[in-house]
Amino acid sequence: MRVSVSSIGATVRAAAVPVFAILAALAVSGILILLAGVNPLDAYAAMVQGSVGSPSALAVTGVRMTPILLTGLAVAISFRAGLFNIGGEGQLYLGAAAASAIALIPMDVPSAVHIVLALGAGFVGGAAWVLVPAYLRAFRGVSEVVTTLMLNFVGIIVVSYLVDPSFGPMGERGASYAQSVPIQQSARLPVLAERTSLHAGLLLGIGLALLLYVLIRFTPFGFRLRMLGANPVAARFAGVKSTREMMMVMLLSGGIAGLAGAVEVMGLRHRLFDHFSPGYGYDGIAVALLAAASPIGVIAAAGFFGALRAGSSLMQQVTRLEVSIVLIIQALAILFVIAGFFRSRILRIGKRTPVQASGGTHD
Amino acid sequence: MAQKPESSRGLLHMVGITKRYGDLVADDRVSFMVREGEIHALLGENGAGKSTLMKVLYGMVQPDEGEIWIDGTPVQIASPHDAVRNGIGMVHQRFMLVPNLTAVENVVLGMRQPRAPLLDLSDARDRLMELAADYHLEVEPDVPVWQLSVGMQQRLEILKALYRGARLLVLDEPTAVLAPSEVTHLFRVMRLLVAEGRGIIFISHKLSEVKEVSDRITVLRAGRVTGSIETPEATAAGLSEMMVGRQVSISRVSPPSVGSTAVLEIERVTCLGDRGTAALRELSLTVRSGEIVGVAGVDGNGQRELVELIAGLRPTADGQILIDGQQPRDVLQQTSMLGFIPEDRHREGLVEDMTVAENIVLKIHGRAPFTDRGLLRWGAINAHAEEQIGVYGIRCSGPSARASALSGGNQQKVVIARETQDGPRLLVAAQPTRGLDVGAVEAVLALLRQQRDRGAAILLISTELPELLAVSDRIVVLHGGEIIGEAPPSEDHLDLIGQMMMGHRPVTAVA
Amino acid sequence: MIDAGMLTDWGSASIRLAAPLAIVVIGGVYAERSGVFNIGMEGMMLVGAFTGVTTSYYLEPHMPVELAVLAAAIAAMLAGALAGLVHAYLTVSRGANQIISGVAINLAALGITNTLHRAAFGQSGRQRVAGFPSIELPLLGDIPVLGDVFFNQSLGVYLAYVLPVAALFIMFRTTWGLSIRAAGDAPPAVDTAGLSVPRIRYATVLFSGAMAGLGGAVLALGAVRYFTPGMTAGRGFIALGAIIVGRWNPLLAAAACLLFGAADAFQLRAQALGLGIPHHFFMMLPYLLAIVAVAGLIGRTMPPTQLGIPYRREESSD
Repeated sequence: MRVSVSSIGATVRAAAVPVFAILAALAVSGILILLAGVNPLDAYAAMVQGSVGSPSALAVTGVRMTPILLTGLAVAISFRAGLFNIGGEGQLYLGAAAASAIALIPMDVPSAVHIVLALGAGFVGGAAWVLVPAYLRAFRGVSEVVTTLMLNFVGIIVVSYLVDPSFGPMGERGASYAQSVPIQQSARLPVLAERTSLHAGLLLGIGLALLLYVLIRFTPFGFRLRMLGANPVAARFAGVKSTREMMMVMLLSGGIAGLAGAVEVMGLRHRLFDHFSPGYGYDGIAVALLAAASPIGVIAAAGFFGALRAGSSLMQQVTRLEVSIVLIIQALAILFVIAGFFRSRILRIGKRTPVQASGGTHD
Repeated sequence: MAQKPESSRGLLHMVGITKRYGDLVADDRVSFMVREGEIHALLGENGAGKSTLMKVLYGMVQPDEGEIWIDGTPVQIASPHDAVRNGIGMVHQRFMLVPNLTAVENVVLGMRQPRAPLLDLSDARDRLMELAADYHLEVEPDVPVWQLSVGMQQRLEILKALYRGARLLVLDEPTAVLAPSEVTHLFRVMRLLVAEGRGIIFISHKLSEVKEVSDRITVLRAGRVTGSIETPEATAAGLSEMMVGRQVSISRVSPPSVGSTAVLEIERVTCLGDRGTAALRELSLTVRSGEIVGVAGVDGNGQRELVELIAGLRPTADGQILIDGQQPRDVLQQTSMLGFIPEDRHREGLVEDMTVAENIVLKIHGRAPFTDRGLLRWGAINAHAEEQIGVYGIRCSGPSARASALSGGNQQKVVIARETQDGPRLLVAAQPTRGLDVGAVEAVLALLRQQRDRGAAILLISTELPELLAVSDRIVVLHGGEIIGEAPPSEDHLDLIGQMMMGHRPVTAVA
Repeated sequence: MIDAGMLTDWGSASIRLAAPLAIVVIGGVYAERSGVFNIGMEGMMLVGAFTGVTTSYYLEPHMPVELAVLAAAIAAMLAGALAGLVHAYLTVSRGANQIISGVAINLAALGITNTLHRAAFGQSGRQRVAGFPSIELPLLGDIPVLGDVFFNQSLGVYLAYVLPVAALFIMFRTTWGLSIRAAGDAPPAVDTAGLSVPRIRYATVLFSGAMAGLGGAVLALGAVRYFTPGMTAGRGFIALGAIIVGRWNPLLAAAACLLFGAADAFQLRAQALGLGIPHHFFMMLPYLLAIVAVAGLIGRTMPPTQLGIPYRREESSD
């Protein structure tokens, strides 16, 4: 792949909007922090220290970034095709459940095999969870927004049921919190750095990002996906079968979100917990937007969000500022991007909202 | 400050209206007058400036120069609200009705209520039905509008205007959506309305109707008034000259050629339009390889449906269509059979966010050498694109240029390149020169000639007569969904063609 | 096994749980009817809950309780409307994607309320404040069973009885309602009628913010009377489902909320009943119902045709 001067320039231009938006968000948040009686520079310095200031901080950043990276990729790929998969939260729960089911079974196989099986189950779990909304959108023209959103809550409830201490099939009896028993040792993801929680899920995420980049840029499928997202009418005139493409994209998206849940269980928690996600699915939406739905950009944006979360605990220790301020920074960044203050012609996902799909689905 | 115009008895007098959109002058010092009790027809082709003129009148657009006088006093019309206040009512081509509301609710929308904000529909309903009875405009008041027939919806639009006290009614192509019996009824209503001193501006392409119902006719061409005459004195020839003119700026390169084998065969096809009425009526047309058949006609006479028919996107209700012996639907995907240049290159033709190279291989990206072992080969794609850029003379910074960055003419060349690169047997071009400057138009026409010389059968649908004359081998005229006649592409036949475009069937057969 | 007491208890809880939702849903219906999708009602509800509690906390020592609670409710509405203003500005004036705007507002609301709550109340959190008084209506409250269920509730609940009816009336019997319904269906017609589509949409979105804020206040000040971070727990999203089940009719949507409230109340009691069906199943019902409704399986659901599409007046030449 040739890296020419123009492509570097294009990348810089593409990154300009989210970077400006983040800077603006940090500035406004700085004012809020000031109003709360804290020196923003102290707060941000602590955040930097707590996220990238030491090897152990970097490890925490990596850990926090992993699930967001995967949900971000899931949303990003749906955005590229002009679809809105906002069901990442539910899909990751189901992926976690499916992966846990496999990961709990004692298997007399090499760890690599067990891991692959469990991850595969995670992918299938997430894809299965998006199947109905995908079908409704591709074949009936029903907006995927409300359907995927509602299934988020159902997904959380399903996992609550599964790990219920009294009667859940995967629940640990007698536990004080709804959780499963620990998963098999052979199904745990290897740790990347000693004495940290940084696990191989991060590598999976980065690898997947690169894979998606290749898929979108170098395969006919990716080409058709981009056509569909950029101009569905012209795509139809060019012979793209939208129903089939939409199904495939949504299933892929759901599967990747399922992987996000799977790696959380297999890499970090080693159990399936009730309500284990603090909103990773929604973070994925924010990340995909900031990255303008580019897989490589998602790595950067997820890194930024991961750093925010990692650094916030140190920030809270040092300045006694509530960690929730991070949510405000994230929200402001999104708002600045979609307000279109900084010229955003890179991808029109900031502007187009088909809440309901235009009728016709058959090709 | 302008002086009072001569005839201050005029109900409406638009004086020296000029409106520019950048370099394009949509209306150039247009003046015309409507008297009380007069039905005044406004004739002109697409792009002639009549839509803009009406938008100015209705306050949707502000003129750069000129004035509007009503009943001998100058008025400012800054918004539709002002227009309504001045007694101007407009029935648009695409109705301004809210489908889910009832007729009464639609009438009352935006009007001050006696006991605001409470909605009192009973008084409004009574008044509406009274108006309906007075002017024979039958309407169902309490049914959601989407359930009403098109004819009834139009009557409702007229009633809306009358309800607001309109003294000047603008009817924009009202007969386009009506059956013949409904048209007669409409004319009767129009006569009733003007008998009470109102004025009506009647916009239409159809010569027969214009002659039947109007008192005076004003013709617009390229933003200027080319003539204004009393209807009894108008002739088809005179009108067509005013509408179409004798300026043929583009010259022919070669004499007309004769085609060989038939490629596109349409036999007595009837096709339904979006509104359920027949958009194509027993249309017959044959296009042979090695010829360009130009389809002339005013926009809205079935061009769009014809194109969709050939692309396999619209089914036939009757009759038969074959492309090289096959059904259209099977052919759309075969780039070596059918090339299709759509009317709206932004929406249907190009993916503007993609690069020139990507657009060129839009349909063929999946085949070798562009795809090898499951992966796209950008090297091969870019090389191919470079080649096409050279062949078709596309001015751009290279294959990686974004399609949206190209000028209109070059964008069109990309579409043409994409559609002709495989040497299709049949090429359909719908309004291919729309929105292009003169140089780009020449280039596009040259490309069409090249394809014809290669042996393709070409169907060129265009509202631009000069271009059709310059490049077609024979010209057929589409009117009211039929091919109403045929003529050789020469200036001598310009009158005939113009008349046919307005629905005047030729008395003698033309070879 | 099941006696009148349990039924009454369940019914009463259903109403109590449904009330905040019914108020929120009214605003959502108005916004969607005018063409704007408001997924941020969750955050606006949260903001209202927090503002209501905090206002009550700070005002209560200084004035009669009733006044403080009234001020709290009004403050909650204002706070919600402010959040609504952000959504309106982004979606109507800037043409931004309505989903993403809503998601961002939810995120911001969570962050802001958490931060301010921690700052104001410290680690302990649950500070009891004065809330809506519980009132038993004379005469009506004496009806056996039904009286206790419907007419022995907090003031906030009675609001939820009245507001949907008023909203229905305004929607179908006033010029405002007419304009709103037209704006979500055919903006060009509204334009040519001389009305302003952006102004209508700003109004409905602000209104939806205010209603969501009020609903949040009723949630926080009705029964529990304190604020916990994230206490709305997805209710704002259920409201979206209720709008669809209720076919974009304020009264029907409020009734749908009753259905959801009943399911919610039931699942809380299902465990005690030993039915053999895990209570989780009943928790899922509202969401599944919404999906079924959207999929068009409950009759023909016709959303406003312009829902989600920004309106730009076309300026073009001939």
